[in-house]
Amino acid sequence: MLVAFGTLVVLLVDTIVTGWPGLGTQLITGLPSTVADEAGARPAILATLYLGAVVLLFSVPIGVLTAVYLEEYADRERWWNRVIEVNIQNLAAVPAIVYGILGLAFIVHGIGLGRVVLAGGLILTLVVLPTVVVAAREAIRAVPDSIRQGAFALGATKWQVVWRQVLPAAIPGIATGSILALSRAVGETAPLIMVGAVVYVPFNPTILGQYTALPVQIFNWTKLPDAEFRTLAAAGAIVLLVIVLTMNAVAIFLRNRYRKQW
Amino acid sequence: MRVEFQEELAALEAGFQETGEIVVRSIRGVIDALRTQDVELCDEVIAYDDEIDDRYHGLEKQIELVLARQTPVAGDLRLVLALLHSGHHVERMGDQCVTIAKLTKLSSHLDTRQTVVESLVDMGERCAEMVTESLAAFAARDVSRARGLDALDELVDRANRQVFQEVLGYVNDAEALEWGMRQITAARCFERIGDNAVDIGEQTAFVVTGEFTEFTDASRDVRPLA
Amino acid sequence: MEAPRIDSGRIAEVSRGLERSEVESRKSVFSVRDLSVAYRGKVALEGVDLDVHQNTVTAFIGPSGCGKSTFIRCFNRMNDLIPGAKVDGTVLYHGEDLYARDVDAVEIRRRIGMVFQKPNPFPKSIYDNVAFGPRVLGMKGSLDERVESALRQAALWEEVKDRLKDGALGLSGGQQQRLCIARALAVEPDVILMDEPASALDPISTTRIEDLMHDLKREYTIVIVTHNMQQAARVADMTAFFSVAVEDDGSGRRGILVEYDATTKIFTTPSDKRTEDYVTGRFG
Repeated sequence: MLVAFGTLVVLLVDTIVTGWPGLGTQLITGLPSTVADEAGARPAILATLYLGAVVLLFSVPIGVLTAVYLEEYADRERWWNRVIEVNIQNLAAVPAIVYGILGLAFIVHGIGLGRVVLAGGLILTLVVLPTVVVAAREAIRAVPDSIRQGAFALGATKWQVVWRQVLPAAIPGIATGSILALSRAVGETAPLIMVGAVVYVPFNPTILGQYTALPVQIFNWTKLPDAEFRTLAAAGAIVLLVIVLTMNAVAIFLRNRYRKQW
Repeated sequence: MRVEFQEELAALEAGFQETGEIVVRSIRGVIDALRTQDVELCDEVIAYDDEIDDRYHGLEKQIELVLARQTPVAGDLRLVLALLHSGHHVERMGDQCVTIAKLTKLSSHLDTRQTVVESLVDMGERCAEMVTESLAAFAARDVSRARGLDALDELVDRANRQVFQEVLGYVNDAEALEWGMRQITAARCFERIGDNAVDIGEQTAFVVTGEFTEFTDASRDVRPLA
Repeated sequence: MEAPRIDSGRIAEVSRGLERSEVESRKSVFSVRDLSVAYRGKVALEGVDLDVHQNTVTAFIGPSGCGKSTFIRCFNRMNDLIPGAKVDGTVLYHGEDLYARDVDAVEIRRRIGMVFQKPNPFPKSIYDNVAFGPRVLGMKGSLDERVESALRQAALWEEVKDRLKDGALGLSGGQQQRLCIARALAVEPDVILMDEPASALDPISTTRIEDLMHDLKREYTIVIVTHNMQQAARVADMTAFFSVAVEDDGSGRRGILVEYDATTKIFTTPSDKRTEDYVTGRFG
């Protein structure tokens, strides 16, 4: 435990020290360039944000509705529901690169979307969907059954009970889970490389256009010979860290603020 | 809080008071019948006792239900028990009136003796007074008023002894003696009515203090609970 | 300490619990015949025959496991929500079969409301709690008026009228339960079912709820389950005593209805010895 923690601290300190000089508005607002002094990661940062948006847009509704189905509608006795039950956790543990390969085959080529932001977003959605489902299920389960009973007893239909009582009460848990899932997605590199986040994108990305993401950009900078690029890479890493940590902080804040006392 | 229960208790007590008033009327009825030797009035009093008995049985039944359904405690329980006893005393008073009325009828064909009749009427008046007073003391939960009944009862007892003495003097007159013996019994009935009124006073003290004492010694002090 | 004043005209009026004949002269709201309930094949309650009449309070008493909660949930088909629950026999509601194929369970729950043992207000504002029913049922008319009326009937209006937007979970236990009653009343039901409504409350709140039942029965028909016999004695017009019958071979315990009569009879001269043993506390 101490060793792991210690290693983490060392890495963190090293990154910050290395990247500190690289931090600046140039990094955030500038376009990439072969010239280190002029290079920036704006397209990468924007793409990362777009990817995040796509992930949220798809993973939350699909994840929540799946969780609702599993918790509220599915008959636990049926074998297929038991199969799903067991496998959700497994899916969360599958290495992200496997999703990358799947995505390449079915999304990029299969439906012919191409190597675009939307495709990358969809793949990342697949990566984090199990996590969202699990978090949503936990949040839904945490809603006491007495609430449902009370709503049913008033003459509410199943859907009304879910939509007007269970989900509103589960929102804090769902939000926390979604943001955590999102922060994971934002940090993914491998699947994005698989589905074509390209190296050099000197323009702002669009949803159906070519792109690169911040982790990929960092990865590529480390491969370049110039020492300045290493600094930039470290700086980029700091930015990424900040983004992820901020998301996590928001998630924790939300969880604490809306923690229900039943 | 527990409005229904409070109303039930109030209804019980009101019913008891009403029956008491009816008995007072019966007492006045027999006094009049004695004074005027009115046989029809005697029959009325006798017939009217059914009403008193029915009311008592109704009170009994209601008390049973209140005990079963409301499980009264503390002051409420004492009140219910006191009503049960007092209701019985009132019913007994009714029976005494019936006896007096029957006696009056039985001896109506005989001549009356004024002194004895006056004594009896006097006893009757005092009894009516005592019963009214005992009912009022119960309603007001007034222990000192209840204790005051003891002094009145003493007067009734004195009149009873007077009647007895007077009749003793009729020993030589067979008809007068027959009449006199009946009046002794009637006087005894009045005396019993007085005792029953004192008993109701004792129940009043029980409701207020939670302790039951005979009112023979008025100097014994018991501090009330409320 | 003076005796209370009451005029003699009132004496006849005061109800001492209805006589059986008075109850039976009222319209029958529920008519139960040979009802049995089983959970996944295991019989919980068997052979119940019973009539519940309009504007009365009917209480179900009995030891734990006798099926009284199971039984009350048959009246609003809440047993439908329990997987594996099976109801046999007939339950007629105003003459209509409650379990007929074409009956919408959602519709009947509007007319037959329920209050639970542990107060379960929604994690919303006081107003939204009471308004939930009318909203989901799409009831027309002023919502504000409905909410106020329901809260008044539940004897809670004065205490919360200035803080309707506050969270319901901030109320005390007794207030929360009255809120749940208001919530049920807001949809204008015909019947109110109460499953041990006061068992989680302190004595004063309990008395309040009992006084409330006494008022509510003028407009509604009330059925309550209670494990507190004295409560049934105080509030109910009719009382049904349920008990547990054990199979001779020890194979199963089923709930059965032992005796159903006017409350005054059950608590003064019960017909069945089992009832006598239970109400006198010799068996429980």
